[in-house]
Amino acid sequence: MNKYFSTKTSIFIFAFPGLLLFTAFVIFPLIPELIISLQNHDGFASSGYVGIKNYIDVFQSSMFWKSNRNTIIIVLMSTLITLPFSFILALLLDTQTSGVRRFFKASSVFPAVLSVTVIAQMWVAIYEPQWGLLNSVLRAVGLESWTREWLTDKNTVVFAIGTAFLWQYIGFNMLLFYTGLKSIPRTYYEAALIDGAGPVKCTIKITIPLLQDVIKYLLVISVLGSMAMFAHVEVMTLGGPGGIARTIVYQLYYTAFMTSEFGKGCAYAVIFVIECLIITLIINRFVARERIEY
Amino acid sequence: MSKILRVLSVMLCIILVLSLSACGSKSKDTTSGNTDNNQQSQQTEDKKEENQNKGPVKLKLLTISSDESRQRIMDEYIKPNVGKVLPHVEIEYEGTANVADKMKVYNSSGDLPDVWYSGADFALPIINAGNQLDLEPYMKEDGYLEKFKIKDALYFRGKIYAISSGADAYFNPRIFYHKDIFASNNIEVPTTFDEFVEVCKKLVNAGIQPIATPGKGGWAPGFFLLQNMIMIEDPEVAQQIVDNKTDFANPVIKNAADRIVQLAKIGAFGQGAANLDYGPAKELFVQNKAAMYMMMTWELPDLEANVPDLDFFLWPKASDKFDPNKVVQYWGSPLAGYAVYSKSANLEDAIKLAEFCCEQDALFFESTGSLISFNTGNQMAELKPIQKKNVEHFENTTTRIATYHLNALDTKCATEHSNLGANLMTGDYSAEQFVEDFNKVWLENTWFD
Repeated sequence: MNKYFSTKTSIFIFAFPGLLLFTAFVIFPLIPELIISLQNHDGFASSGYVGIKNYIDVFQSSMFWKSNRNTIIIVLMSTLITLPFSFILALLLDTQTSGVRRFFKASSVFPAVLSVTVIAQMWVAIYEPQWGLLNSVLRAVGLESWTREWLTDKNTVVFAIGTAFLWQYIGFNMLLFYTGLKSIPRTYYEAALIDGAGPVKCTIKITIPLLQDVIKYLLVISVLGSMAMFAHVEVMTLGGPGGIARTIVYQLYYTAFMTSEFGKGCAYAVIFVIECLIITLIINRFVARERIEY
Repeated sequence: MSKILRVLSVMLCIILVLSLSACGSKSKDTTSGNTDNNQQSQQTEDKKEENQNKGPVKLKLLTISSDESRQRIMDEYIKPNVGKVLPHVEIEYEGTANVADKMKVYNSSGDLPDVWYSGADFALPIINAGNQLDLEPYMKEDGYLEKFKIKDALYFRGKIYAISSGADAYFNPRIFYHKDIFASNNIEVPTTFDEFVEVCKKLVNAGIQPIATPGKGGWAPGFFLLQNMIMIEDPEVAQQIVDNKTDFANPVIKNAADRIVQLAKIGAFGQGAANLDYGPAKELFVQNKAAMYMMMTWELPDLEANVPDLDFFLWPKASDKFDPNKVVQYWGSPLAGYAVYSKSANLEDAIKLAEFCCEQDALFFESTGSLISFNTGNQMAELKPIQKKNVEHFENTTTRIATYHLNALDTKCATEHSNLGANLMTGDYSAEQFVEDFNKVWLENTWFD
């Protein structure tokens, strides 16, 4: 039986339906996008090809760089704060009793399955400058000077939106880390304890290396998910005020749909696809390339 | 192996070609200019004959559902009554707060709704693509045009692309206020901008938010705040923008932007005003948390019903060139209203549907006490005192200036106008910067092309 299913012909036959769907729904839409990105198109009709003018305009636009900077901030928040935080939460969860674990496993998914609009509106209320929770708490503990107009201050708005976005997925990431933790045989830790290793050393030498596949997976979905962040920006501030909170995908939407520069919007989309591909390749190239076994 | 690869490649190519043809536009000529109406009528006649044998006529109606009024028009007026006027028509309804985006999606598929609620911010590309019907010949033929008291308000470049009840033309921005809050703080109604600033300062010092107005997405500054700040110094400049006779480097416009910044800096709009949504802004005023509310008068009937100490005052002047009793900004655009797809398979019924919807709009606004241009044949209901005061003021004005945001800016220009206008409400963005940033966009404005 194995003889038949392991041939390249069989692999192609089984892969074909998936390949077909991928081509029709992922590769194919990129083609018209690429074509429109070379046109002067207002979303209703094209007024002709303009070569790479749209791309030049995009690169010369200050909003392209600002939106990229905002996106990078959110990606960095995601990778440098959220993932480690989720990992620590997973480690803590692992030490709890089964009842506590059950409760947190169930509740941690809750924000991730809630509508983005609900989450975003909840955070808008938290950040409300006059009666919002955040400023109220700061005032209550005597930190009046720390209060801000979180969603209109150019120094805080991106971090404020990024926090709302990342908060939604911390629990979900924790759950994935926890699932990974459960797949590590306990015997490794027992052996390490006998050899005199403490919890920190066990985490660094055993847990993290053996979770490399989970880390890689979470890294890819966190980075790409953060790069594609749109809905939170739309609901919380409409990218404003004055476009200061736009991410690259919001800028794409704004250009294509709000200002009706559809050709330029498609140029943004093509550049965004290339950015995502480069980042994915980098992660694949440098993270968890070799399988670790003890 | 290579044979299988070849077969797979060919199959993938076939799928791609099929997908391309399936997703391609049905419309053969979407980029051409306006199509000849006679030719369309002939095509429609042919299609009509075909359809007569196929049962009820099916029409798609895309309407705006952005606010409660629009939802009520659809649910309480159009849906229950359409069967009486068009019994042979089966309507597929669709409501959306963002008609522009929906229309772009429909347009890309080449399958536009038969009737939709057009907006000035997205109508031009549809008109230029020849997809929005010039309704004038049909309205003249069936006598519908005669039902409008102000016919000129319907025309755009000599044609009628959308029909509305004309209520828009009577909507204007006002400064509503709580009489009790003013009285308890010994505040007189301001008549000059300097007095207005003093009133705001006094309210801030009393711990009361002076003004509520929606800043999110630049709604208020985009639609009326900046325009009125211009008008209170020199109404002629606002008219010049509508007529494309000045640019935004005009010093009056810089002064106007500066007035918004000045108000923002003293905290007149309250904290986070640049991100304040439409609904919450109204609630701040209705719940007595803000002393004043800058808004269009379509909110007046609701405010008068829910705010016992309501009144409004006229925009305070910043120079003697402005007489608040004589000058007013009015809403509306000839491109806003019910529009018909020029290539509809059931053109005649689509036009009737658009006319019916417009009439239902008129009946609704008439019931709220709003003035309308459309003659429904009904006696106008008795107005409540503040609505009456508003109408009397409006009728006594001699200079009525159209909203330039809707009547002088193309899609990109209008979007950037709101976007940068929101920035002014933060107080961190200078009037000079606004003029520098927006004038570039204005100079590329294609509205007048």
